[in-house]
Amino acid sequence: LDSSEIRIEDMRYATLPLAKINLKDERFRTSYFFSLERLILSIEKAGLLSPPLVRQAEKGYILVAGWKRVLACREIGLSSIKVLVTEDQDDLRLFLASVHENLASRGISLVEKAEILRKLLKFGVPKRALLKGYLPLLSLPATGDHLDVLIGLSRAEDAVKKLVWEKDVPLLIVHFLLRFKPVDQRLLLPLLRPLGQNKQREILEDLWEISRRDNKPLQDILDEAGARRVLGSPKLSPQQEAEKMRLGLKRIRYPQLSYWEDRFKSARRRIRWPKDIAIHPSLNFEGEEISISFLFKNEKEFKARLEQLQAMARKKEFPEFFGR
Amino acid sequence: MNEIQKIFVDKDVLSFPLTKRIIKRCPGVPAAVVRYKQELDALLTSSADPAGEGKKYLWLSRQKGAFVKPCPCTPHYIGCNYFIINLALNCPLDCSYCILQVYLANPWITIYANLDDLWKEMDAFRREKKGKFVRIGTGELSDSLALDHITQTSPELISYFGRERKILFELKTKTTNIAGVLAGPPAENIILSWSLNSEKIAREEEKGAPPVEDRIEAAKVVSERGFPVGFHFDPLILYPGCEEDYARVIEKLLCAVNPSRIRWISLGSLRFPPALKPIIEKRFPQSRIIYGELIQGKDGKLRYFKPLRIELYQKIVALIKYWGGGQIPVYFCMEDTEVWERALKKTPRRKEEVELILSPRVNDSKSMTSKSGPSG
Repeated sequence: LDSSEIRIEDMRYATLPLAKINLKDERFRTSYFFSLERLILSIEKAGLLSPPLVRQAEKGYILVAGWKRVLACREIGLSSIKVLVTEDQDDLRLFLASVHENLASRGISLVEKAEILRKLLKFGVPKRALLKGYLPLLSLPATGDHLDVLIGLSRAEDAVKKLVWEKDVPLLIVHFLLRFKPVDQRLLLPLLRPLGQNKQREILEDLWEISRRDNKPLQDILDEAGARRVLGSPKLSPQQEAEKMRLGLKRIRYPQLSYWEDRFKSARRRIRWPKDIAIHPSLNFEGEEISISFLFKNEKEFKARLEQLQAMARKKEFPEFFGR
Repeated sequence: MNEIQKIFVDKDVLSFPLTKRIIKRCPGVPAAVVRYKQELDALLTSSADPAGEGKKYLWLSRQKGAFVKPCPCTPHYIGCNYFIINLALNCPLDCSYCILQVYLANPWITIYANLDDLWKEMDAFRREKKGKFVRIGTGELSDSLALDHITQTSPELISYFGRERKILFELKTKTTNIAGVLAGPPAENIILSWSLNSEKIAREEEKGAPPVEDRIEAAKVVSERGFPVGFHFDPLILYPGCEEDYARVIEKLLCAVNPSRIRWISLGSLRFPPALKPIIEKRFPQSRIIYGELIQGKDGKLRYFKPLRIELYQKIVALIKYWGGGQIPVYFCMEDTEVWERALKKTPRRKEEVELILSPRVNDSKSMTSKSGPSG
């Protein structure tokens, strides 16, 4: 993958004032969204054992490897630190050295992988080489589609990246999120944050498909799903808000199915179906069968359940379950 | 239709008559002998659209397994006891909904050149069936006629199966490539069938296929030549105004083609494995078909919510009865007993019962005596 290795002979140790390290130049940065707590503790207790790698620039030094270490030292309030200075002027070679060091020493998040790929492209690595060499190196599926999503993620707004990092959002859901315009992505973040991955995916798919089907802007669809009533309601937690919106969107995406589900639930309510006996239609009403399940510990409980079922079957509302 | 840009020949089939015929009938198309089909992979790996690009390449090879297989249908739905002959894999047409986009391992078009092995296998198959009626066709993993101007296999197939009266042999197509079919004499057990859809769906979703009107015209020509014909309204696709559009096609069809010559009409609604959805979205960004009310069916495929399917089928069946006189055998592809019962008032429980509905014993007394035109 690498044209050549970074040469130790080209490096020297130096002690630099922290202020001389230019953190605004992020060309070699690979670390994003992290906590410095443990590192600060380590440096405070044991000192900076592994010096960051820097390269001299016209003004000050560019940080090649050791982003977190430098930030932690700043946080602690150190005025100068020991560093390794390289004379190597090959940006790609230095960046790869930083990537390999990180890969060997810690887990790399999806957002960081995306940044690495974007920077490799910027350093002139062709797409084909990214697909063949670097995606597998980063344990990512080596397809053009996946690469496009990752480059999209690297260009996304910080709030999107933060959600992806915080919630460990998988690549497929990132793909679904990035299909929306940045302005719409911002609207979606509060809905996605409280939900698990399956429900995040459901919301994103439903919204996308409704917007494509009905040719409507996202805000209009959210309003139709009850956004004005639900979002920001003092009676609801963020999770409850997101859940209500998910159900509202499902109704818009699947109107007939939702109608049938409501009808089944309403029949169950009207007949006062016992809570300890589960009754379900077939998946998506595709089959005609209805399933019933209950638990029992002994013959007496079993017979009691059967009696309950017989009582249900005698009710005049019972045939409503079978109205197809 | 995609034009073939290059032919790759497996060295094992270089001397076969079909190989020679194809190369001869493609003047100006470069042909190369390759040892392994993996050599084709290299051509397509860098393509942004291997599925589309692959349709420009022909791979002439040997069918090493069986040519004939029972149609796999789909689990948990009723089949029709159909057999398929895999003479070719993939198709130069590029329909957005085509399941071959996920079903086939390779994106190029494969044609098996060892036809002698097919005839031997068919002889054995015929002996095994011992004179029972069998329905068999070549249009499952490819369009039966899309490449017939190059392969010219239809006259050979018609000639072989024309002698086997107990085998109903179907050539299924969306094209008007009927010259090879018309070259020889017709036979009552050779059925030419067309996949039809509304004009809008044909125009927007069936890239490379002729307009529906042209397909109907081709069917008319073939039926007047003496061949029985069949039609497959599959996949029926729901959209605002679809019922009127399907009604127009059915009227056109049944006014153009004598219903007494129609061996069967099958109906099936849009269905596909979930893996096809992102492919359609990527390859056909203008398409809206995947945004219908598609739910997961018993077989795991996405299909329209059942009440929507039943409602559409009921309307289509009524239109076929109105314009076709009620004698045309209609059947469903990959549906369950509830759909059959509610849309067609028939209750087959097994594929053998569907086959019976389509067998000549049942049809002959009815479809052969009907008159064309609306019967109310």
